[in-house]
Amino acid sequence: MANVPAGLLYSKEHEWVKLDGEVATVGITDYAQNSLGDIVYVELPRVGATLSQATSIGVVESVKAVSDIYTPVGGEVTEINTAIEAEPAVVNRDPYADGWLFKVKLDDVGQAKELLSPEQYTQLTREAS
Amino acid sequence: MTDDDSGALRTTALHDAHRALGARLVPFSGFEMPVQYAGVLKEHDAVRKRAGLFDLSHMAQFALSGAGVGPWSETLTINKVANMKPGQARYNIFTNERGGAHDDVIFYRLSDDRWLLVVNAGNAAKMWAHVNAERSGDVALENLHGSRALIAIQGPRSVEWLQPYIDVDIGAMKYYSCVETRVKGAPSAVVIARTGYTGEDGFEVFLPSEEATGVWDLLLAENGARGLEPCGLGARDVLRLEAGMPLYGHELTEEITPLQAGLGWAIKFDKPEFRGKDALLAQRDAGDYARIVGVTMDGRVPARAGYPVFARAHRAGEIRSGSFAPSVGRSIATALVDPVDAAEGTAIEVEVRGARQPATVTPMPFYKRPKG
Repeated sequence: MANVPAGLLYSKEHEWVKLDGEVATVGITDYAQNSLGDIVYVELPRVGATLSQATSIGVVESVKAVSDIYTPVGGEVTEINTAIEAEPAVVNRDPYADGWLFKVKLDDVGQAKELLSPEQYTQLTREAS
Repeated sequence: MTDDDSGALRTTALHDAHRALGARLVPFSGFEMPVQYAGVLKEHDAVRKRAGLFDLSHMAQFALSGAGVGPWSETLTINKVANMKPGQARYNIFTNERGGAHDDVIFYRLSDDRWLLVVNAGNAAKMWAHVNAERSGDVALENLHGSRALIAIQGPRSVEWLQPYIDVDIGAMKYYSCVETRVKGAPSAVVIARTGYTGEDGFEVFLPSEEATGVWDLLLAENGARGLEPCGLGARDVLRLEAGMPLYGHELTEEITPLQAGLGWAIKFDKPEFRGKDALLAQRDAGDYARIVGVTMDGRVPARAGYPVFARAHRAGEIRSGSFAPSVGRSIATALVDPVDAAEGTAIEVEVRGARQPATVTPMPFYKRPKG
């Protein structure tokens, strides 16, 4: 069973969001990292880039395949996790903490309301399996 | 690599074993096959350091028999067949009139007039139709696809871990030799060959499908605790790429000839005639053909099949296979490039999601197993 922590919000594209006022930290879920397998490369947006909600803003690559990362919220990228460039496997090992991907200053805090609760996301992963 | 997932998928005799091991199963060439169990990197590591176990029963096995098999096969393939001795295995390619590849295969000569021919799973139907359409003389064909299984053990500890179950001295077997023998506990004769697709020492065991789970379970029960890992198609593809081995559909196709794929060593032009000989001779003599080269990315980003390749600011070709390579610690690939850009050391660029990433043409294999 994939880990779905309380206190976070989730997207249908298997990202998690941690809200701190108008700054959102974004990563991929345990379900996603498990589906992807061993992650060998991550491409993140640039700091300062403007992201539109639900668009592809980077990639996560496993040994054999490339997967898009979608941003569940729109806004300006304030920080990216450069540590995972050197060690992409951290995203597999610790997707909710050390494996965070990027931070966004929301341009519309209302977008957070469209995200899924832990219960809703857990239900989604059950239906997908 | 053809991926026929239309219609019902077939399964191998080991399907339940894969599920019990928690394998991730995917459609592959009309079969539901394990792409991974513990994970591609873990499985890759097991093969390079200890040994891995592979279910390759999706590949098609044909039994060829008759005095005519050798000479007949030579008219349809690039390599020699008739001079193979019993107990020999040999790599070969069936060609079309243009010199392109129908499939790359291995012939195993079991006796004077009995042979095993193993073809890629994705080409099973095409190759069965081809050999039947071309059959002539004292050649009988039998399709064993589904009734025979194939289990491979690959890695430096293969001899040590397989030997206890086999009556012949497998450590003494030459590379690319084969033998008919028995596996302890299994009633039927099996074929064992010292062949593989990983660049490591290893063996392929061809056996009746109904005995496959017995052998698979036996090997894992005894050696699982010692580090024998079940390995899927994901690890298999990384291992073969590192070892510089072609994958049909990528480095060889109906259009990409063995000459272009760097397999000229297997083309025996002194054979009086064979399918595509004239086309291959012309290609060889002209010399200006696009060819498969090894590529190592300068940075971490992987190259993938289909990505455009540039050299000196012009389009030079495309990536045919690509992956992160744990044995090299780099992202590696094969590319089909213009001959002028094919020299070792050539600086090239691979276009990855619209951005050109630097790479270098490098020799293959990318990995060679340590001697001794």
